[in-house]
Amino acid sequence: MKNQWAKSLTLIAAISVVMILNGCSTVVKRLDSGEVTDLSGEWNDTDSRLVSEEMIRDVLGRPWIGSFISDNGNRPAIIVGEVRNLSHEHINVATFINDMERELINSGGVDFVASKTERGEIREERKDQELNASNETVKQMGQEYGADFMLKGSINTILDSEGDEQVRYYQIDLNLINLADNRKVWAGQKKIKKLVEKSAFRL
Amino acid sequence: MNLGRLISNRDIARYALPFLLVAIALTQVACVSVTHDRGEIENYLLTQQPEKALTTLDNYKPEDRNKSLYLLDKAMLLQMQNRFEDSNSTFEKAKTLTKKLDAISLREQAAAITINDSQRSYLPQNFEQVLVHCFQAINYLQLQQYSEARVEILQLNELLKQKDDIQMPFARYLSGLVFEFNREHDNALISYRKAYQAYGSYNNAIPLMLKEDLLRLTDYLGLKQEHKKFLDEFELEVWPKQQAFDQQAHAVALVFNGLMPRKHRFEINVQSPSDGQLHRISIPFYEHRAVKVYRAELSSETTITNSELIAQLDEQARTALDNEMPSIIARTIARVSIKNTAVDKTREDSPLLSLALNIATFLTEQADTRAWNTLPQQILIMRLNLPAGTHDLKLTLSGSNLLGTIQTWPQVEFNKGKSRLFSYHWPESYVTQLKP
Repeated sequence: MKNQWAKSLTLIAAISVVMILNGCSTVVKRLDSGEVTDLSGEWNDTDSRLVSEEMIRDVLGRPWIGSFISDNGNRPAIIVGEVRNLSHEHINVATFINDMERELINSGGVDFVASKTERGEIREERKDQELNASNETVKQMGQEYGADFMLKGSINTILDSEGDEQVRYYQIDLNLINLADNRKVWAGQKKIKKLVEKSAFRL
Repeated sequence: MNLGRLISNRDIARYALPFLLVAIALTQVACVSVTHDRGEIENYLLTQQPEKALTTLDNYKPEDRNKSLYLLDKAMLLQMQNRFEDSNSTFEKAKTLTKKLDAISLREQAAAITINDSQRSYLPQNFEQVLVHCFQAINYLQLQQYSEARVEILQLNELLKQKDDIQMPFARYLSGLVFEFNREHDNALISYRKAYQAYGSYNNAIPLMLKEDLLRLTDYLGLKQEHKKFLDEFELEVWPKQQAFDQQAHAVALVFNGLMPRKHRFEINVQSPSDGQLHRISIPFYEHRAVKVYRAELSSETTITNSELIAQLDEQARTALDNEMPSIIARTIARVSIKNTAVDKTREDSPLLSLALNIATFLTEQADTRAWNTLPQQILIMRLNLPAGTHDLKLTLSGSNLLGTIQTWPQVEFNKGKSRLFSYHWPESYVTQLKP
């Protein structure tokens, strides 16, 4: 009887040690970047990727692009402007914009103009070239490609909570605006709805 | 020698609880060192040395149940050193942890009902959770990241919607300020209205800045009846028109004055005349503190403005404790009853063991005095209207020992119609009353 007790005690101690050691170690598991992983229910990489893919597919499939090419004989040049985060979360808008830029550039349907920050850096480089580069390789100022359209938008959220449940509703609105006359040639919208259930108990 | 020969299974079961309680009693004694650390942190803060306070805090490795408090204190000490980004990332960690702790732990509840309330993980009080968003928004405003400050305000409003038992006028007013920084006049007015209602519900004086903002925005948004109501109520002869307001730049300064009073234990210790058993009831209470700064002034080369009180956070803390007191007392009574029953049952088997258990239960009966102690006691606000351009700003504090100019912000650029926010911590204060 007492031996049994001692064995049980040893077993419990061994399990406890294993559990403690397991709890202390960091576990890393590599995931495919396309895999959907929802941990907190907040805006994540999957939302950013899916929204940008769908929105860009929509913008490139609408009649404005054909009209522009038939009127001007060339592909439209687009620049991405501000996408305002009006949501309840600290969303990294830069990754969302990068996702959209990538989709637009890789579509081949439009030309893409560098952003305001990037242009500033490139202008600095051109100024430097005027002083330091050879005549054969120097790039002249005033030769930039002007964008025809600006893509602007916002990310909004509506939260509805009751007890341990919360519905998170995201609405992403994007507009394509003609820089020559301020006409909106395309308005896109994507909605995402998530139900997040919080556990009422923990360890 | 075989352990089993010395102690039988029944003995182990019998001795387990008293030994456990004695061990916990010893750890409770060890907690005194933590209190000493808090005293050291406070001393550094009172002498304006937040960097040393942070070093002391970091030397103290918090137990898991005190991790949220550690993060809140750390975030606040980082803010005092103008490390706004670090402060916000620490506040974010505290928020994530708070969300987890919001769920009930049966293990911790059992420990709270049998040992004491400090065995539970520290879940920040509702008003502290609101203030996390406020201080994060203030950090973002100082980093001129107005959209991010807006995110905090939306989260804050969501929290206030869920916890409808708390009225935080300062949080409402700050919401309005953040919306104005983002040029959203309609949302700002909604927040200012709620701030007005919240100040009223506390019977607090409505700050002059809020009165001016309500008059300015109701006029600008064409809400004539509401504007007239505020005009009649506030009786202000002069208030800024939005058009004039947009022609100027604005420096808003916050002074975080004093230090949140600390919690102490009020204990009643008695010995039963019939069986000699020791009993203790331990209840937390806040000490009373007084600030040393009575007034602040913000000035530029040509203009000057005085501060006004916009938040009295120690009152919020006392109200929160008063509201929690019925559940604290209920748990205390239940705990005393459980402990007494255990002592009585043990006495039948072994009087010596019963005595040990009684001493252990007596020592472990301690009120939970944990709180976010690096918070300020009150908040002063002032707004300086300036012509657009570059200005040198100066903050002057006046009080019991005539402090003078303590902070300058040189060569600050202001754009027309835009506002900038600045803050300064002055924790110096003193205890005036150490009893409930």
